[in-house]
Amino acid sequence: MKIGMSHGAGGEVMQDLISNIILSNIHNTRVNGGVGLEDLDDGASIPLGDYEIVMSTDGHTVDPLFFPGGDIGKISVAGTVNDISVMGARPLAIASAMILSEGFPGEDLERIVQSMDAVSRETGVSIVTGDTKVMERGKLDRMVITTTGIGVVKRGEIIRDSGLRPGDKIILTGSVGDHGMALMAFREGFGFDTDLESDVAPVWGMVEAALEVGGVTAMKDPTRGGIANALNELADKSGVGMVVDEDMIPVREEVRAVSEMLGIDPYEVANEGKVIMGVDPEYAEDVLRAVRKAPYGENARIIGEANQDSHVILETSLGGRRILEAPVADPVPRVC
Amino acid sequence: MYRAQLTVEGIVQGVGFRPAVYRLAHELGLTGYVRNMGNLVEIVLEGDEERIKRFIERLKAEKPPISRITRINNEMTAIDSPSFSDFSIKESSSESSGTSVIPADVATCSRCLEEIMDEDNRRYLYPFTACTDCGPRFTVIESIPYDRERTSMREFPLCSSCMEEYLNPLDRRYHAEATCCPVCGPRPFLWRGDVIETDNPLKMAAEFLDEGEILAVKGIGGTHLVCRADDEDAVMKLRSRLGRPSQPFACMSPDVPSVEVYACISEAEEKALTSRRRPIVVLNKNSDYPLAPSVAPGLHNIGVMLPYSGMHHVLFRYTAAPAYVMTSANKPGDPMFIRNSEITRGLEGIADYFLLHDRKIINRCDDSVVRFRGGEMAFIRRSRGYAPEPYDLTHLSENLSALCLGPELDVTFSVLKGGQCYVSQHIGNTSRYDTLLFLKDAVNYLMGITGTESVDVIACDLHPQFLTTSYAEELSERFSADILRVQHHHAHALALMLDNGVGECVCIAADGVGYGADGTSWGGEILHCHGPEYSRVGSLMPQKMPGGDLATRYPARMLLSMLLDSYDGDIRELFIERYLDYFPHGEREIDVVLKQMETGLNTGVSSSTGRALDAISAALRICGMRTYEGECAMKLESTAFRAKGELKIPFRIMKRDGRYILDTSGILMDVMDFLESGEKRAEIAHAAQRAVAEGLAEMAVLAAEDLGVEVIGGTGGVFYNEAISLAVRDYVKERGYSFIQHRNSCAGDGSVSLGQAVAAALEYRK
Ligand SMILES: [Fe+3]
Ligand SMILES: [Mg+2]
Ligand SMILES: [Zn+2]
Ligand SMILES: [Zn+2]
Repeated sequence: MKIGMSHGAGGEVMQDLISNIILSNIHNTRVNGGVGLEDLDDGASIPLGDYEIVMSTDGHTVDPLFFPGGDIGKISVAGTVNDISVMGARPLAIASAMILSEGFPGEDLERIVQSMDAVSRETGVSIVTGDTKVMERGKLDRMVITTTGIGVVKRGEIIRDSGLRPGDKIILTGSVGDHGMALMAFREGFGFDTDLESDVAPVWGMVEAALEVGGVTAMKDPTRGGIANALNELADKSGVGMVVDEDMIPVREEVRAVSEMLGIDPYEVANEGKVIMGVDPEYAEDVLRAVRKAPYGENARIIGEANQDSHVILETSLGGRRILEAPVADPVPRVC
Repeated sequence: MYRAQLTVEGIVQGVGFRPAVYRLAHELGLTGYVRNMGNLVEIVLEGDEERIKRFIERLKAEKPPISRITRINNEMTAIDSPSFSDFSIKESSSESSGTSVIPADVATCSRCLEEIMDEDNRRYLYPFTACTDCGPRFTVIESIPYDRERTSMREFPLCSSCMEEYLNPLDRRYHAEATCCPVCGPRPFLWRGDVIETDNPLKMAAEFLDEGEILAVKGIGGTHLVCRADDEDAVMKLRSRLGRPSQPFACMSPDVPSVEVYACISEAEEKALTSRRRPIVVLNKNSDYPLAPSVAPGLHNIGVMLPYSGMHHVLFRYTAAPAYVMTSANKPGDPMFIRNSEITRGLEGIADYFLLHDRKIINRCDDSVVRFRGGEMAFIRRSRGYAPEPYDLTHLSENLSALCLGPELDVTFSVLKGGQCYVSQHIGNTSRYDTLLFLKDAVNYLMGITGTESVDVIACDLHPQFLTTSYAEELSERFSADILRVQHHHAHALALMLDNGVGECVCIAADGVGYGADGTSWGGEILHCHGPEYSRVGSLMPQKMPGGDLATRYPARMLLSMLLDSYDGDIRELFIERYLDYFPHGEREIDVVLKQMETGLNTGVSSSTGRALDAISAALRICGMRTYEGECAMKLESTAFRAKGELKIPFRIMKRDGRYILDTSGILMDVMDFLESGEKRAEIAHAAQRAVAEGLAEMAVLAAEDLGVEVIGGTGGVFYNEAISLAVRDYVKERGYSFIQHRNSCAGDGSVSLGQAVAAALEYRK
């Protein structure tokens, strides 16, 4: 087998690659009974005394490096901060490794590092160690940034993907499809007006607000594969189904327009500043109120509810019910 | 003296079979008994050999109208003395073996209709009147053997008059499981928020309809939305409430003469219309067409049926309407509502009144639809009146049991058991959750009434994303059954070959979309099929679909894709000038599509005939947005219908990667040139359709020559198009090949599950 682009797209093909080649060849995957590699959660945890250290890493290859709403620097720090956050842990520190291509412009690098710094200051997460390498011209497309983050949480208070229970409300913290659609449009040179902007942002503020209220049972940031993937992963890992009211999912008008022109579903493309939470119904309204007051959370909504079924069902007032499936890398036409 | 022990399989229960046996045995002076056994009929006869033989001959010839005999096993033994003094009908036994099946629903017979219309009869105007020759069957049965206790008639215990008929072997209601009368049977009632008090709900319903109201009418296998078909305001009101701007509605008229007022009927069409199966027949409209224009807008034809239940007959007694619109009551893509509470809730705001009854519908069953092309019938949908009658596959497989789940849209599924393939009623679009639930329910019921507990094989489509595919995977685990993935067009071809008893052919499979073996989307394929194998020997030119499924909804995207490489001038200008309104986001969207063609972002590749016809339809400004399946191609056919045929568009075939390719871009270029030179749209439409048809036919002929094959077939939804299917047939015959097409099966996706069953039978015969 040879690796194709679909192996990195976040769909089923990537899941297969992970289980067949990666998981089957790595043997030590867990420390002290914490969350480990094969849990395929947003990060891992290492229980130590009364606390658990949460750890997560992410390699960032964004094309283009600078895009409306952000750049690779912002995404590399925010993305890792977010992965730590949705484990329910307070993010503390970031390590960053940069690989640059020979000839990379110094002024671009500076802008990127300043973006990293901005997110670090906004969240209070320090960038504590790093590494820089340069590769020969032509061996690498401009640059790759790998960030690793650690956070901390009281022992046993980690929020897992698998914690959703029937009856839990599903909260979505804002509009979907912004990052994926903005990047796609910008990258392909479609020349759209600049209303289209990535939502890249650190979500810790919203998560912290929710955790303070309590009742959060599961969390995920809907990055690659969009909410279609994230909702299905939550349902699968928790062994539940859910019904989502499609009319409650916010999609920006511009995102919808682009999706209607490209034929790409806004539910299937990446977000970089959103969280999906499962919340005990008793706490749901309070959590929602708290999230709405937090930065980036003003458009949060309750979009649905988990049940004992096994599908993610989208319900619309007009169109009835359809099954929302996890996206595959290359959609094949199916409309007759 | 001899004793014969007969077992009869086929459609032999609930059709008056035992009384017929009883009468015949009496007439021939034979003794013994007859009884239902699970799903076959057992007959024991004593008498002389000659008479027993005559009995069997006459039984085959004189069996009741609905019954069908697929097999008679006969064990004759010489005996010294008789064990029986007379001939009797014995109690049913629930032991089950054999492969008999429940008959399909049957339209009200003439004798029942006479009773309904006879003022002195106790069933005067009673809408649920039925007998052994007619009435609901499949739609009321829960399990086998077919007895009243296992149907939804269980809730209506027979009154003494009905019981007398039911127990008298010489009465035509002897063991008529659905029989009833106004005293003991189901009742109709009118509803709007609450039951409306009236002693004649049907008369009141007809009056509401005359006033332009929309009614939901619960019937035999489902619910219809009904309004007068000659009332444009009512029809438009229904369209806007349903959100169906132009999907054609079917009509029902009281009798043939009322249909002749607005449509022409051939002899064969009349036979189908009046048959006891009562399908919707697609008829050409008269040039003088007095019904509301929006019943079937933009089309030269209209789907028509005649009354098939007492309810329909009685309604028409109270109105002068020449026809009612009768369309399935559902949300787009969802199954019809069948439970009273769902009907009233689901159709709130759509129907003004509800004409309901208190009998449960067990098996939902949509109306069947047929269309004639050059005098030959084809199923568009094979459902009520036909399902679940089996196809005979005994020549391919005696013992394999398989469950075949079909594709995704227009799904039927099939149960193969004991050499019989039971194709289900129409299920629909299984990407919809409620339709998927309906599929799962219907699978349980059909497996139950065919006595199938487990299966060896689950067959499904090759498409990895179909929900029927993941359901197949789930079932294969549950039954520990093998899974067989069948390429869509191969399944089409196998159904066609079964229908015609052909083992090898070159097949033209032309439709909207099917997942190809190479991962691209197919739909204009020339397949060489032989046994379980096939190879792709030709296809339409693979074309990009900018926006994927979006290019199906907005055919101008296909047009742009197909013209892009060949068009000389500024294609952007052309589209802005002529087709701007075909892009909901205007100029900006045209730029996006051009860019998508360049970068390949979300542009699948398809060799679909449907997409090529859509593009022609868009080019001629016939259809710019598809609001229902097949709309653009259907309107293209209707536009071409009245053409004189004076234009000709040549076609070009090349060979690429070892297979023939028809240059569809070339055809589109000629369409644009003719448009430029001011030719009539109808003539261009006609010529373009013909070029596609003959191009497909020529590729098939070339392949048949290469391979030394003598039979060429045509399958897929495109073959509903009369002009295309006749052009292909004539072209193929002209070149000396024989041509086969669907006769007793759907050309479209409704028979994909049947083809999958054939594939399973062939695969496991090896
Ligand atoms: Fe098909
Ligand atoms: Mg998580
Ligand atoms: Zn009758
Ligand atoms: Zn009665």
